Amino acid sequence: MKWQAIGMTVVVVALTTAVGHAAQESVALDLIRRECSTCHGAQGISISPTFPNLAAQQAAYLEVQLKAFRDRSRADPHAQAFMWGMAAQLTDSTIADIAAYFAAQPPAKGKPAGSAETAAGKKIFEEGIEAQKVPPCQSCHMKNAEGNAVFPRLAGQHRGYLEKQLEVFATGLRANPIMHENAKNLSALQISQVAAFLSSR
Amino acid sequence: MRARIWGIVAIAWPLAAAIAITIAAIAMLRPSSANATPGFARQTGLSCQACHTIFPELTSFGRRFKMNAYVFSNVRQLEPTTERGEKTLSLSDLPPLSVQLQGSNTWLAKAIPDANPALTDLSQQNSTEFPQALSLFYTGKIADYLGAFLQLTWNPTSNAVGIDNSDLRFADHGAFDSIGVPDFIYGLSLNNNPTAQDVWNSTPAWGYPFIATNVGVPSVAKVILDGQLAQESAGFSGYLFLFNHLYVEAGGYRSAQTSFTNATTGGPGPLDSSAPLMRISGTAPYWRAAWEEDWGDHALSVGTYGILAQTHPHGIGENGPRNSFTDVAFDAQYQYITDNHLFSAYGTWINEHRHFNNHDLVDHADNWLNTGRLTASYFFRRKVGGSVQAFSTTGTGDSTLYASGTAVLGSANGRPNTQGYLFELNFLPWLNTKLGAQYTLYTRFNGRANNYDGFGRNAANNNTVYVYVWTAF
Repeated sequence: MKWQAIGMTVVVVALTTAVGHAAQESVALDLIRRECSTCHGAQGISISPTFPNLAAQQAAYLEVQLKAFRDRSRADPHAQAFMWGMAAQLTDSTIADIAAYFAAQPPAKGKPAGSAETAAGKKIFEEGIEAQKVPPCQSCHMKNAEGNAVFPRLAGQHRGYLEKQLEVFATGLRANPIMHENAKNLSALQISQVAAFLSSR
Repeated sequence: MRARIWGIVAIAWPLAAAIAITIAAIAMLRPSSANATPGFARQTGLSCQACHTIFPELTSFGRRFKMNAYVFSNVRQLEPTTERGEKTLSLSDLPPLSVQLQGSNTWLAKAIPDANPALTDLSQQNSTEFPQALSLFYTGKIADYLGAFLQLTWNPTSNAVGIDNSDLRFADHGAFDSIGVPDFIYGLSLNNNPTAQDVWNSTPAWGYPFIATNVGVPSVAKVILDGQLAQESAGFSGYLFLFNHLYVEAGGYRSAQTSFTNATTGGPGPLDSSAPLMRISGTAPYWRAAWEEDWGDHALSVGTYGILAQTHPHGIGENGPRNSFTDVAFDAQYQYITDNHLFSAYGTWINEHRHFNNHDLVDHADNWLNTGRLTASYFFRRKVGGSVQAFSTTGTGDSTLYASGTAVLGSANGRPNTQGYLFELNFLPWLNTKLGAQYTLYTRFNGRANNYDGFGRNAANNNTVYVYVWTAF
């Protein structure tokens, strides 16, 4: 049965050694390839709405968030479960490299949603709801929801992720004084509408 | 009168003892369920839910963590470098160790006959085990690209510490962009149980039920991929995970010396004809292929796996006749995972062709044995939930092979058919602590629903209620 053992070894070795180590690359790219991409996708477009799309996200926003995960000041339940560990050992320069990489990726394409809810969400995004003291989202997140520096890109983001963030801003689980004031006055329906609009962009 | 009783005892007690020893032996060999480990959480800084729906079932991220050789680490590393800048070590500051404790109680619908048949109904109908298993894990990174899942378990049946499911693996990433193959994972696994290295919960080693009583009545036949080689074989395989969808693996298993000593030297040595277990002749090729599709909150996989094993029957030497077992299996798994609702379904079908060359032990030189399981489970907020399973083993009837003529363990009609359902309810006060109550209902056992052993025992007499606490920390 020696030939069998030899045969199996040849198969196994051939399967694996045909493949060489990838060329030496930066710490950040290696991390993105091995870790970040597992949930966020290699080009920053994720599959599950639990994990946000990072493609074309504002680099400044990504840096602030990664540092907030590292020092545990961003403490919503998903941040605790997933990102506290991920960011624990990142250096400032690696954070900057990761942020730059995702910021440079082409953005996710919007996913169509119902036309009525999209229209209602567009109205909230562009005009706000004065009666509920909700300012227009676009005043910070920009006209096409592309974001601006520490104000994140929202266009093309997963609907489920956006809804979850507005909920945790409202409850204060994700600490952010500005967004807390804005989100706490939105109804669940309004949150769903604005998320539908943004995810369709 | 007294003499007659002793006469019965003298005749019957070796038989009863044989039953008890066989049950004990089978219980001892049954692989204990292993699982999720807090050692991983310590190393990665991630909560259990990153890798698990409810332990030990893996999420999409958990599957990739395992394929990447358990190396992902978020604790400070000890990383000395040479003058030329080469890293010579990459070790976590703290070892990823953890402990697992299982305690349980099992009620059997009808007691197994007393070992001393002269004293009827003294045998206990329920068995308490504390612990049912106590394990120590090292689970995590050894160095860059190299990690381990090592488990030592104390088992109450053998009252000894033994090696449990173990997996030592190497993995790295590669890419062939020029021919359209983007970043992929490739790796090697050295393990001691076919499918222990698998990342889906639809294959036997990490399949449902994740924990089971070890004092129930074992059925007469099992396909070899269903735990028959667990901890008694050593396997080496290579795998590729391509396009984030396609998993392919090939390798082989050999029988391994674990708890037996060589009769001549007294030390551990090559297995010989006295080994009571199935011995693989040479190397048994093993294969696995699966396709995973993830979308939104959903994950679906379908796959195939199998093994080709030539075996030496017990008591027959290297040059004697060999039997061959060919297992071809299919499996599928579906998961829906959100914060509030978690639904999973997994199923497998293992088809085993058995060819026997030692004709005096069988009626038919060729026969079949098929095992199928289909499971669905639901959990609410990772707190409460339950599972339902339908299980079935059917195969060619063979009086010589299966009709041993023993009470409880035997089959009167020589058929291996055992079928039934399993129901389980769970409560998890913490993500790492599970309380469970399982009810196993047999509709058929060793070939029949009623009087299956020819000694008046019915399939339903083997129904069990099993309650357990399972924690890892």
